[in-house]
Amino acid sequence: MKSYVAQRLGIAVLTLLGMSVVIFVLLRLAPGDIVDILFSTGGYVNNEERQAIMKELGIDKPLVTQYFEWLRNFMVGDLGKSYRYDQPAWDIIRPLLPVTLELAALSIIVAVCLGVPTGVISAVRQDTGLDYALRVFSLAGLSMPAFWLGMVIILALVTWLQWIPPVTYVGPRENFWLHAVQFGLPALAVGYRSSALIMRITRSALLEVMREDYIRTALAKGQSERVVIWRHALKNAILPVVTVIGIEFAFLIGGLVVTENVFNLPGVARFLVQAILWRDYPIVQNLVMFIAVVVILSNLFVDMLYGFLDPRVRYGS
Amino acid sequence: MAVNPVALGAPTEARTGRPRPGALTILGRFIRKKPLGAAGGLIILIITLTAVFAELVATYDPIATDASQTLASPSADHWLGSDHLGRDVYSRVVHGARVSLIVGLASTLMGSFFGGIIGLLSGYAGGKTDLITQRVLDIFQGLPLLVLAMVMSAALGPSIQNVVIAISIPIIPRAARVIRSSVLSIREMQYIEAARAVGVRHLRIAFRHILPNTMGPFIVLMTAQLGSAILVEATLSFLGLGVPEPYPSWGRMLSVSAAEYAQKAPHLVIFPGLAISLAVFGSNLLGDALRDTLDPRLRGA
Amino acid sequence: MRQPTLLATIAGATLALTVGLTLTPAIGQAPKSGGTLNVMLREDLAQGFATHESSTVATSTPSLPCFSNLVLFDQSKKNESLDSVVGELAEKWSWQDNYKNLVFFLRKDVKWHDGKPFTSKDVKYTFDMVREAPDATAKLRINPRKDWYANVEHIEAPDPHTVVFRLKRPQPSLLLMLASGYSPVYAAHVPAASYRTGCVGTGPFKVKEWRKGEFVEYVKNPDFFVKGRPYLDGLKYIVIVERGTRTAALQSGQLDVAFPGETGRTAMEQLKKAVPTMVFQPVAQNVSDNIIMNTKKPPFDNPKVRLAVSYAIDRRGLIQAAHQGGAVLGAAMVPKPFGFWGMAEKDLTALPGYGKADEMKDQARKLLRESGITPQNPLKVEMGVRAIAIYLDMASFVVNELKQVGIEGTLKQVETAQWHPMATRGDYTIGANLTGLGTDDPDANFYENYACGSPRNYSQYCNEEMMKAFERQSQELDIKKRMALVIDIQKRLEQDAPRPILAQRLDYFAHWAHVKGLVAHNNVYNYPRFTDVWRDK
Repeated sequence: MKSYVAQRLGIAVLTLLGMSVVIFVLLRLAPGDIVDILFSTGGYVNNEERQAIMKELGIDKPLVTQYFEWLRNFMVGDLGKSYRYDQPAWDIIRPLLPVTLELAALSIIVAVCLGVPTGVISAVRQDTGLDYALRVFSLAGLSMPAFWLGMVIILALVTWLQWIPPVTYVGPRENFWLHAVQFGLPALAVGYRSSALIMRITRSALLEVMREDYIRTALAKGQSERVVIWRHALKNAILPVVTVIGIEFAFLIGGLVVTENVFNLPGVARFLVQAILWRDYPIVQNLVMFIAVVVILSNLFVDMLYGFLDPRVRYGS
Repeated sequence: MAVNPVALGAPTEARTGRPRPGALTILGRFIRKKPLGAAGGLIILIITLTAVFAELVATYDPIATDASQTLASPSADHWLGSDHLGRDVYSRVVHGARVSLIVGLASTLMGSFFGGIIGLLSGYAGGKTDLITQRVLDIFQGLPLLVLAMVMSAALGPSIQNVVIAISIPIIPRAARVIRSSVLSIREMQYIEAARAVGVRHLRIAFRHILPNTMGPFIVLMTAQLGSAILVEATLSFLGLGVPEPYPSWGRMLSVSAAEYAQKAPHLVIFPGLAISLAVFGSNLLGDALRDTLDPRLRGA
Repeated sequence: MRQPTLLATIAGATLALTVGLTLTPAIGQAPKSGGTLNVMLREDLAQGFATHESSTVATSTPSLPCFSNLVLFDQSKKNESLDSVVGELAEKWSWQDNYKNLVFFLRKDVKWHDGKPFTSKDVKYTFDMVREAPDATAKLRINPRKDWYANVEHIEAPDPHTVVFRLKRPQPSLLLMLASGYSPVYAAHVPAASYRTGCVGTGPFKVKEWRKGEFVEYVKNPDFFVKGRPYLDGLKYIVIVERGTRTAALQSGQLDVAFPGETGRTAMEQLKKAVPTMVFQPVAQNVSDNIIMNTKKPPFDNPKVRLAVSYAIDRRGLIQAAHQGGAVLGAAMVPKPFGFWGMAEKDLTALPGYGKADEMKDQARKLLRESGITPQNPLKVEMGVRAIAIYLDMASFVVNELKQVGIEGTLKQVETAQWHPMATRGDYTIGANLTGLGTDDPDANFYENYACGSPRNYSQYCNEEMMKAFERQSQELDIKKRMALVIDIQKRLEQDAPRPILAQRLDYFAHWAHVKGLVAHNNVYNYPRFTDVWRDK
């Protein structure tokens, strides 16, 4: 077990390193840099001033030097200074993280609460009208662009209720219900989408388990369907579901980006878009690495869980 | 993830003497067994035909502005209304189908093709090559799809070719993974061993024998990714990083302008969004049904 | 003769009283102190509060409450002119030596937000830095308005409350540039770079918190040099990037005030329908839609081809299509009643593109034929346009217009970061552009956009005769004579067509009825300071 963990950790670190190179290179492939943007806010261009600013920001050094400097600083927790805001990147990112994490967590909860029960019902009542209806409903969620759903919600709210959720952050202690709505609505929009995948996995995993002999035996012996489902089938179907939840977390980011924009939530996803447009490399690099770390860690956790729950699954077999 | 090669009528060494069922019969069987999937297929077919025959189906030039007809509600003249520049929404939705499908299909095909090759070679080669390839793919897959597409799009600049490339890149690792799993299981089959024993070269085995048997998961993968690609294109266009003007793009139709005029002209928000949803919905339905048909034991991906 | 009955007298008196009572609130309600306002911000501050390093309202407008100018355009007057310039840090000023020396007598009771006293040293420091004087003690990282003060020879601070601007030649317009929202006074005792992260000003409000990407919060300055002001306790500029959400926030009351320049005609109609009591103030933005053409490269080095482009574009059609009617016809300067120097519609009709659409297009085709461009030998161009909706809308319309006269145009989307380098380098042939003027003054416009060698003269237009004409009008002291010169220049610019003006944008500046004392100006750059604004409930 220990070597399994160690091996996986080693792989994870290597992967993260690889990601850092990819994101570093990709960002710099994009034309224009912070100096271009600064000049565009000034409405003109001047080469001498450009050189001076590049020197000030440290981007006149060779790329390889910049990469290793970044990496070295990242390891000790120094995330550098934002090019745009001239302040430590961590200070700017820190207040944004809880917002996105809360939204992500709520979205996953919505997705699971919506996806698992519908998946179970759909599997148990396979090929009935209910099954079809649930599958269509779930698939609709997967098909709608997250930003469109958000736009339509805001449009509906302002047209019919003359009211929209607060546009500035409302903490749960300030006003619990307002906070709940502020996060609940976007969580619904994002969660609905993710629930589709979870529903599908739950359904197919459950279907497969239900075909197993021991289940059929139990049913034949006269045990009630509900007991069989809950006690035996679900227990074995849970594994792939957990796997998918881990994967979904990474997919979530896309939905979070547009949802945070539409609902005006001050999270990292919304900030990331602005940072990309501003070529604020320190912010983008570090945020993406942070997301990568979270994703890798969650994959690792799921792998561990897998390894723990099913001794047959071991790396390298 | 095992696939049943017989279901596709692929050549196997252990084949019965039955002739292969005709294509129409297969289709008929499919429609009966999987009505939802058939419906999805029909939707995709209609959208494809609309895209191909856009000039015939559209009523106006999608980029022609008309100052006298701005923000018109749906009417006999403008079936789905007109936008703030007086352009006909229906014609733009029709031509938008072309853009969305081309971008979606091209990026899916490109991504799946390259990913498939990588997965095939990696899975077949095994050992160290496989290990390293997997890690490299992990790197790309760990980066969130939208962020990767955004950065690539910014890196490549706004043009329809670049958007295709930008969207296809995140598909490659996913495709590689699926094909690789399939290859891993086929590789161990007896007839492959037999071929090797006889002395058939590796590459030949890989491409002539293994590849055709991965068609099942490959098709399923592509239909799944098609929906995703269309959505990513829409999101990129919405964020201003997608297909540039003047190509009408469903996603771009929903960005700034639609939001600004939404209350006066809700049709600007409703119809392009419905179009996107329908296209993705159809491709997902079809993909689901195909997956179920080709191997009921397949897990969702 | 009948005597007026008692009843009639009472009725008459009641009528008079009612009329009087209904009129009075419009004239003079007593301002109430207290309350805060939520103001719309469409994007986060570009460079914090560093107004002198910026050319965008994203920085200058939300910084206005923090700063004071030497002089400012009267916030309560819609039209800006030399007559509406009032003192802020300067109590009095006087021109001497035939408009060659400008003396300011400064207030003596002003303190910076950190408590230090304000003196003439701060003024000299600020403007020496902006004009990049050889003996300036500080330098700006980016300096877009150095040319505004090119005519300043020397700035003197003979005593702590007097400043003298010595000019090379007479320039009455200098006062206008100093009155712009782009000309605040920085503190000499803090580094200029500090304004990128915070703000030490002398204005009515102090920065309480700037939460990056979210909001800027201001709190009342208790030591403000105008006693009893500001009325408000605070301001909060809230960042909302999504346009739909922005309008929804204003509509639902989460925002009290819109951002200058952000309320288009359709938004106005929507808001009016939803909130009948909302107040709209239609003003010009002093931002024009225009087409820049590279006069140094074919095909637009040929004035006939440029003229053809100008003829081809139906200005009225553009106003309807791209602005839903929320713009007006105008040449380089904003027309009356919104501006002072602009040309009236009757004078515009003779210019290319302002007449009847069909006739104008025929004229365009004729000019193109004379230049060798025919349907057999068409002109293909790539129109550069920034990837922002307001640019794209204009450009889409223009491309369509050009198509009708035989110019095949495609749009080339250019990211914001690429735009200025591309335009400044002349790396384009034709582009769709927006030009904003910090103040309604011919000097500011002509020297920035049409003078030889000016970095923002993207067309690289250089005409010696025009330069002489610019000089002549700049030095002309008689208003009527200057007006005639300016109108003539505008005509000739449209006929030379380096940068045909398509429309002058309007804004239907929106705010809730409980916001009082807020007057929109015919220029997005110079308001609101919020000094005299108050809340009714």
